[in-house]
Amino acid sequence: MKPDLSVSFARLHFRTPLIAASGTFGYGTEYLDVSDYEAIGGIAVKGLYLEPREGCPPPRIWETPSGMLNAIGLQEVGIRRFIDEKMPRLRELGPTVLVNICGSTVEEYQELAHILDSVEGVHAIELNISCPNVEEGGILFGCDPRMAAKVTEAVRAQTKLPIIPKLSPNVTDITVVARSVEAAGADAISLINTMPAMAIDVESRRPRLANIVGGLSGPAIRPIAVRMVYQTAKAVNIPVIGIGGITSHEDALEFILAGASAVQIGTMSFVDPSVWRRTLDGLEAYCERHDVEAISALTGGVLS
Amino acid sequence: MRRDVRAKLLERRSLSPDASLLEFESDFLANELRPGQFTMLRLPGDEGLLLRRPYSFCDTDVAASRFSLLVKEVGRGTRALARLVPGDEVDCLGPLGSTFTMPPEGKRPVVVAGGVGIAPFVGFCRALSSASKVAVVLLGGRTSYDLYLREVFEALGMDVRCTTEDGSVGTRGRVTALLDDALDAETQLYSCGPTPMLLKVAELAKAKGIPHEVSLERRMGCGMGCCLGCVVYTSEYVRSCTEGPVFDASVIAWDRDPHPL
Ligand SMILES: Cc1cc2nc3c(=O)[nH]c(=O)nc-3n(C[C@H](O)[C@H](O)[C@H](O)COP(=O)(O)OP(=O)(O)OC[C@H]3O[C@@H](n4cnc5c(N)ncnc54)[C@H](O)[C@@H]3O)c2cc1C
Ligand SMILES: Cc1cc2nc3c(=O)[nH]c(=O)nc-3n(C[C@H](O)[C@H](O)[C@H](O)COP(=O)(O)O)c2cc1C
Ligand code: FES
Repeated sequence: MKPDLSVSFARLHFRTPLIAASGTFGYGTEYLDVSDYEAIGGIAVKGLYLEPREGCPPPRIWETPSGMLNAIGLQEVGIRRFIDEKMPRLRELGPTVLVNICGSTVEEYQELAHILDSVEGVHAIELNISCPNVEEGGILFGCDPRMAAKVTEAVRAQTKLPIIPKLSPNVTDITVVARSVEAAGADAISLINTMPAMAIDVESRRPRLANIVGGLSGPAIRPIAVRMVYQTAKAVNIPVIGIGGITSHEDALEFILAGASAVQIGTMSFVDPSVWRRTLDGLEAYCERHDVEAISALTGGVLS
Repeated sequence: MRRDVRAKLLERRSLSPDASLLEFESDFLANELRPGQFTMLRLPGDEGLLLRRPYSFCDTDVAASRFSLLVKEVGRGTRALARLVPGDEVDCLGPLGSTFTMPPEGKRPVVVAGGVGIAPFVGFCRALSSASKVAVVLLGGRTSYDLYLREVFEALGMDVRCTTEDGSVGTRGRVTALLDDALDAETQLYSCGPTPMLLKVAELAKAKGIPHEVSLERRMGCGMGCCLGCVVYTSEYVRSCTEGPVFDASVIAWDRDPHPL
């Protein structure tokens, strides 16, 4: 019998445990002709605010050892255009839809959640309280357990949709933030967002990014992310979605064994659009080889 | 329709101390790509690189299922690419981006290219040649080494004029010095190369009211419109991988474009 690679948690069903990470898969349709969407369980769309945003000036990206820096600054179309122009196609695609939302104030998060609550085809809200590249809000909420709880609670009051706060690695103790959003009513947690980082062109003596600092993603952050998923999964009773530098089924399994119920892939999808099929096939073969009937049975299975 | 195809290197020709012409085999890309478009290329093994690198298509030979890239070594990715030997394979995602448009009836095409910026114009001039059109091709470089492939443009029947900064070939100076003579009300301009050159060309074209298409090079993360890393300012930030790389130069807000690569 084929192993069951679907996962269900937080009142959500994902046909595979692989989710496209926010900001790396546009509004869902961009890769239709080159990626195998059957292998994708969920799509987290680009972070959305109430209003469209221009984003940071370029240069916005730079490659670093086994990773990349980005300071996009949440250039996005605003919630209204997203619902009118992007949702109609997104809801037809098949993967479970997570809408990543961002605000400068608690009230903005609240209003976004209120609007999304009644939008057909939106399955969950991913609360972006961890973007390093915006001036107000973003990471400030994610680094302060009290603020993180306040945003979660405020959004909870506006929607019945599952709420998934996305945490920043830029904290001393990730479990403190994780516990506080759990207590505030989060249904699951996703982590990690990018790590604040910087690179300098020594010839011109200028930062590589116009924004000076940016967020580090890719394999370079994976061991940090695995550690944080491990600590978080032990500290809370809600499911955890693991993110950070996943390039293959082995990488995905590290997160799952560390305690993740599903994983997200970001940067690697830029490098290899076939990462979805390749990783899913690898997971299936692994399950068969290890006599595992359902991938969900591996969650938290690391031995100690 | 775009695809990620594995293409085999058939031939590599060194054009200068730091530039090579690479001929690859791919039926799909040879057939699908149009002048001005590019591919996101991934090297075999990882060579310590993560992201793919963008390269314009230089030329295609549909009958032989071949396409070529002109590569100038500037960093790790381009150096590794230039070290490939025939038989090696690379992954090419494409064709990506916008295309140059053929000049409307009655318009005379003028091409301005600096350094490796001539790459996309080989295929474009081949298309012009097939349509029995002759472009004035203005090539500029620091020295004779930088005037890649000018014999190819000549063989295509183009009117080639060269400048070098050291005067080793053609007129001494910058390529933009030849522009004034080549332009009139019936001109349609096309340009690709270093930003200061593009800026000059754009200023001249604007002053004279001449239509001008420009191919821009920006750092790219995905080439698919998803990372928003490659933006150029028009009246907002637009993606140069999907809306470009070929733009109508008059829509670009050049003063908002700092362009350090
Ligand atoms: C649409 C498009 C078409 C292109 N077509 C061609 C082509 O036909 N032939 C060709 O040789 N190159 C082309 N380029 C440029 C090519 O992509 C870069 O030279 C390449 O990405 C550099 O990679 P690297 O790994 O060698 O350099 P890295 O090791 O990444 O960087 C080394 C140095 O190169 C500079 N650099 C990085 N990216 C670029 C860039 N995009 N342009 C110029 N310098 C850069 C960096 O500032 C750095 O100092 C094109 C770029 C774009 C966006
Ligand atoms: C170009 C880029 C844009 C991103 N935009 C967002 C975003 O809008 N919202 C968000 O929550 N995370 C964003 N992220 C973070 C990713 O979703 C992910 O958490 C991070 O990249 C780590 O995963 P990876 O190593 O697989 O890329 C972005 C990442 C990149 C590289
Ligand atoms: S390169 Fe990613 S959006 Fe253009």
